[in-house]
This record gives sequence, C-alpha cells and structure tokens, in this order.
Amino acid sequence: MSEYSFVAGILAVGLALICYAIAFASVRFARTRTAMAGARGGAGAAGGSVTTVTRGPSSLATYGTLIAWLALAFITASLTFRTIVVGHGPFANMYEFSIAFAWGVLAMYLYFEHRYHQRVLGLIALPIALAMLIYATTIPSTADPLVPALQNNLLLTVHVAVAIVAYGTFSVAFAAAVLYLIQPAGGRRGLPKPVLLDEISYRAVVIGFPFLTLVIVLGAVWADVAWGSYWSWDPKETASLVTWLIYGAYLHARVVRGWRGSRSAWLLIAGFGATLFTYFGNLFFGGLHSYSGLNDN
Amino acid sequence: MSQTVRTTALPAASREPVDDLDGGLTISPWGILDRLWHLFISMRTGLILILALAVLGLIGTLLVQAPAGLQSDPGAYATWLDSLRPKYGGWTGILNALGLFSIFTSIWFKGIVVLLTTSILACSANRAPYLWKQATRPRTNMSETFFAHAPLSASVTAPAEPDAALAELQAALRARHFRTITERDGDAIHLYADRFRWGPFGTVIAHLSLVFILIGALVGSSLGFRIPDFMAAIGTKVEVGNGTGLTLEARSFTDTYNTENGAPSDYASDIVLYRDGAQVAAQTIRVNQPMQYDGVTIYQSFYGPAAAMQVKDANGAVLFDEGVPLAWGSTDKNKRVGRFALPDQGLTVFVVGVASGEVDAQIKPGQMQLEVYREGSDGTPLATQIVSQGQPARIADLDFTFVRERQFTGLIVARDPGVPFVWGGALLLVLGVCLVFFFPNRRAWALIRRRPDGSAIEVGAIVRHDVGFESDFRNLVNEVKLALAGPSAS
Ligand code: HEM
Repeated sequence: MSEYSFVAGILAVGLALICYAIAFASVRFARTRTAMAGARGGAGAAGGSVTTVTRGPSSLATYGTLIAWLALAFITASLTFRTIVVGHGPFANMYEFSIAFAWGVLAMYLYFEHRYHQRVLGLIALPIALAMLIYATTIPSTADPLVPALQNNLLLTVHVAVAIVAYGTFSVAFAAAVLYLIQPAGGRRGLPKPVLLDEISYRAVVIGFPFLTLVIVLGAVWADVAWGSYWSWDPKETASLVTWLIYGAYLHARVVRGWRGSRSAWLLIAGFGATLFTYFGNLFFGGLHSYSGLNDN
Repeated sequence: MSQTVRTTALPAASREPVDDLDGGLTISPWGILDRLWHLFISMRTGLILILALAVLGLIGTLLVQAPAGLQSDPGAYATWLDSLRPKYGGWTGILNALGLFSIFTSIWFKGIVVLLTTSILACSANRAPYLWKQATRPRTNMSETFFAHAPLSASVTAPAEPDAALAELQAALRARHFRTITERDGDAIHLYADRFRWGPFGTVIAHLSLVFILIGALVGSSLGFRIPDFMAAIGTKVEVGNGTGLTLEARSFTDTYNTENGAPSDYASDIVLYRDGAQVAAQTIRVNQPMQYDGVTIYQSFYGPAAAMQVKDANGAVLFDEGVPLAWGSTDKNKRVGRFALPDQGLTVFVVGVASGEVDAQIKPGQMQLEVYREGSDGTPLATQIVSQGQPARIADLDFTFVRERQFTGLIVARDPGVPFVWGGALLLVLGVCLVFFFPNRRAWALIRRRPDGSAIEVGAIVRHDVGFESDFRNLVNEVKLALAGPSAS
C-alpha cells in the first residue's frame, strides 16, 4: 500500500510539474507574442489578447495545483501506511526521511501557493520534491528494526517531523530567492515581482527558523538522553548549527538596509545549501548520526 | 524640501594654530568606548560575526576533528596527526598550527564566541529600552505622511460623525484583541491600536537565552567531567573518581539481538553505586535510559570482552582479583587487549585475547596471552606467556590465573552542572523565537477628521513577520466601511 501511494505520489508530482511548466511556457510565449504584436500594431489590442490567451494555460496551471494537492495526499497516505506497517514514525532511515522531506517541500509550497498564488515558485519547489522522491527510489526501503539509540520514539518522531517542516519552508525560500536572483533589478515580465519574492522568502524563513531552532533543541535533548552529552560537535549537529546561523544571519540582514534584496537572497541560497548538506551529510561524514540505513555493516 | 546650512564663524580668540593631524584620530577613553559600543551594536558587525561562526562550523564538519581528550596525550596526538598526512599532505602541519583540527576549542572559535556574545548583549541593552517604551508609551499620533507611506493603509470617508466612526473602529479593533488608545487634538481624533505588544521582547529573550546557554557550556566544561569510555568488567568494582567518592559495579550485562538480521536491539547493564562501601543506588540502564545519582549520570554506551584475572604472591595472598576489560583492538583487529597494573610489584600486565569470531594460531579458545612489563622498562616484556583458563602460571615469582572470560560494559559517566542553564536557555530560546514570529506585534494608527459631510478616516499599519495581518487589515477596513456606510448608505 505504502509503495503504491508512493509511486502515485511520484507520478502526481511529475504531472503537476509538467502542468506548471507548460502553463508557464505558454504564458511566456503568449506574452512575448502579444508584446511583439503590441509593438507593431498599437497598444490598445494587447491587453485584450493577453486575457484571451492566458485563460487556457492558466486553467492548466489550476490542474497543476489540483494534481499537486493530490500528490500531497498520496505521499501522506504513503507515509501513514508506512507508519502503520513499521510501527513507528516513518523517520528512521534515509528512504523514509527522503519521502518525508518531499512531503515537507510539497506541503509548504502548497501553503505558500495558497497564500500568494505564485505558481512559478512551483517550477523550482516541485523539482526539489520530485528529486527527493526519485532519490528515495534508489535506496533500500527495507524497514530494519531500530538500533538502540533510535528507540526513543516520541523524541525521534517530533525531532524529524519538525525538521521536515523547516526543510520545506527553506525550500520555498530558496525557490523565491532563485527567482529573485535570475531577474534584473526591475523585475521581468512573467515572473513574480522581486519585492513579492523577497517577502515570500522572508515569510518562509519566519516559519522555518523557529522550527529549526526546535529541531536543534530537541536534537540536543535526545543526544543528552542517548549519548550522554547535549552537544558533541558531531558533524550533523554542527551542520545544522551552521544552517541555523545562516538563516539567523538572513533574518538580521533584513534589518540592515543594504543587505536586503540580492545579498539576502544569496544568504537563502547558502542556507538551502547548508540544509541539503545537513541532510545528506551523514552519507559522507559518518559520526553519531550514521543511521542512514545505507551502510550494511 | 529646503535645506539650510548654518555656518558659525569661530571667535577670533579660539583660533589656535591647528594642523591637519588634529582632525585625525583623537584618543579619549570615552571616545574609544563610544566607538566600541557602536561597533558592537552595529548589525554589520553582528552579521559578520554570525557568518564567521558559520564558516568555522563548516570547516569543523569538513575537516576531521581530533577526538576529545587526545591533545592531553602528545604521543597519541602525534600518531593521530601522522595518520592524516596521507590525506592532507603538506597542509597537515599548517592546518594543525592554525588549530583547525580542534576548531571548537581553538582561539578563533572562542574569540568569535566572546565577540558575538558581547555584541548580542550590547544589541539587547541598546534595543530593550526602546522596545519597553514602544510597549508602554507608544506614539499615539501619526502625521499625514505616515498614512501616505505606511505599508498598509486605507482611507475611508463616511457620512458618520467622527465619534461614531471612532466607536466603530474601536469595536472592530477590540474584536480582534487589539488594545486602543485615543488622543484628541482639536477636532482630529488620533487612534493607536496594538496587539501582542510584548511579542518584540522575544528578540531580547532569544538573545539572552544564547548567553544562558553559553554560561551553561562554560560551567559544564569548567566544573563538570565526562568519562566517555568508562569500562567496568562485570563483577568488578571501579572507582568513578573526579571528586564523586563513588564506586561503580556492573552486576551484569545483556545484549539482545534482533533475530531477523542480527542487529543489536537492546543493551542493558545492572549498575550498583557505592559510597564509603555502602550501596547508595542501583538501576538497570539501557541505551536511552541512563541512571542518575547525585548529579552524576551514567549512560550505556558500548561493551566488549573482559578477562577475570587473579594474581597471588608466593605465599598465596591474593594481590589482584578483578575483571580486566579487553578494551583495545590490536592493529590487525583480530585480537583484543586489556591492561592492569600491580603497583606494589612495579608491574604492568597486558592481557591479550582473540576477538570474537576470529581464530589465532597461538591463542586457542579458553586461553589468554599475558605480557608482563616492569614499569619504566624499555618496552621489552619481562615475560610473554599463554595461559589456559584456571591454570596458574608463575611469572616474576607471582601466580597469574586467567579465571574465566567475562564481559565488560562500556559506560559514559558524566557530571555537568551546566545542564540546567543549557536547558533553561534552550527553553527561553524556543520561547523567544516563537514569541517574535508567532505572536507578531501588530500596530495600527488612525486619524479621524471631521468633514462637512461626515468624517474622513485614515488608517495605517506597520507589518513585520506577519502573514495574516495584511488580509486581516483589509477585512477590518471593509468591516468599518460597511458599518459606517450601513443605514445611511447612498
Ligand atoms: C546567533 C546569534 C543571534 C540570534 C539567534 C538572534 C536572534 C534574533 C531573532 C530571532 C530576532 C528576531 C528576528 C527578526 O526580527 O526578524 C532578532 C532580532 C534582532 N537581533 Fe538578533 N540574534 C543574534 C545575534 C544578534 C547580534 C549579534 C545582534 C547585534 C549586532 C543582534 C541584534 C538584533 C536586533 C537589533 C534585532 C531586531 C530587534 C527588533 O526588531 O526589535 N542579534 N535576533
């Protein structure tokens, strides 16, 4: 069951992405055409033709949204079945983390789509979710019994669940930052206005930062119970601290005028880089967090 | 926008000879303090420090870090450093000299933490009075320009009297849990409204919580101790030391494995603590269930084989009767090595056994190899002998008996008096951050003026952190508009 809904989830995310992409491409194409027509034939007609041309693709984008919600439902179902089958929160190995990560990205993206109606963000956020899901298909999905240190169910579940929300919001902030940076200062037609993107990023971090703070604190509580020290500079701990510092810097940077805009957008890119580094880190730096389920020894 | 530039001629008497250098650096203690203050409350400084810390952290995850405690043993540290040379080549020495292999105890790290803490304290001290004033004595009247430029703004004209408009506006704001303050200025009515006015103190709380956590870390590292590899052979009492006056005995150890894939599923040790020879505490500890007594916490960590050894002198008096944890692996990994000392005889004894699952040509099952060294010798053993279980071997006029194989349990024994500060700080940190972001301070102003046909209302608000305020603001304005237009709507 879990597998079926997982596959359905992948397909739905892919499909939603295709809808968004086609809608976006055709809107851009239509805009360029009308702009050119407008330049040649007088501005009066341009406004009207934009509305007529946009109607078709925008409904395709609406399907995209619908399918994206469906994808969220499938992945939620997949995680729920998995929880029932393995008997603990689906957060114990890299396979489960990756699906949960994709869930977080999708959920947070849809939340922000609902608030701001900027579906162009989906062109960046959905591929992240899709990549996570595809990555999940490449790793073993077996549910091994938990090693002793992971057998603290409640803490583990909350720790990771909170992390998933934080990662999701950071992906949205990243998507907005990318769209911000690829535009010239005044903005570009067809893309959301830079000011709006700046705001979306900020709002995303405003949700993500408290969650990341909680993740780190819960991680410290857990480490204290399991390893006898709330902080041991384990690489994964350190990487999450680095991520936290970068987003902390971002929040402060916005208070300083000169750092608004592209400099703070770069901080968001760095922050997301650090997020991914924290996430994939245990694959190469070992340490106490090496529970990925990928090293069979 | 006219600018006036005022110039004042210096009185002739004060025109002393002045050269260019006087215009340069002036040194006065207050001047320096003032500059330092401004440096530390500058957000630019803050940002640079936060990012510098992030960079150090990144280096700490990318470069191998020396295991804790290794530096106190220069020989072991040099060996460890040599093991890195193939990887870092000629950089090894440079990286080491820069302290990058123990970055979290390096001068760089400590320096930045100290500067950052100073900066955080300065910022908070600088900001708190302002926040206090904003919460207790907010500015209640705003000018036209504010309403024209406020991030959220609206103008409403209504046929109602200004007082009726005010009542309506107040009602709508109070329904949204705002507090309102009004101020009359002739015919004009100024209204101020805010919600969650203590929310901004979340930043102060978050900042101070970090200082708390650092105090906790400092207290812990200076007054606490941590033994990461406390090994107790089953049935043998081991002193905890470090001023605790405690002696620990592991009565038993059980490891349980999953039947499907052989992965460990549970480790448990029965631990008994003694003080002055009397039992003071006993508990079965597991991986996530540590034991606590008198501020000392004991965690299950690892386990391994041990050898119960007995040593008697020529008269048959027992000199040593303990389990010896075979704590170290040999370099070829197929042997386990333990060590014990007979200080009165000036001897150190190494006990070598075969690791589980391995076979050895010399040391058969049920046997141990003993290597006896005289203390301070040049490293050649006094004797090397393989002994069988239960059969005494005479070495240096002493009888050594390998009594039986046992296990040892590997514990972490720690006392950290800083922990309450750390958890207190962590709680405050989460609280503070949530306060800032989830209880966003909402502030709005209104200016109501009489017009010949009713009143003109300007509403303006500042918005930060706050996703919901914008739509709420629009709703509020519409509500008021509708209510005022209501019965007499044209
Ligand atoms: C890693 C260390 C720090 C953390 C975790 C931290 C935390 C926070 C948080 C969560 C906020 C609210 C963010 C916002 O308003 O968008 C904040 C605001 C602020 N922080 Fe920090 N901070 C840190 C370091 C600093 C430093 C070094 C300074 C001084 C240079 C500073 C000065 C401020 C100021 C002035 C505000 C705005 C306060 C306000 O709007 O009332 N912070 N800080």
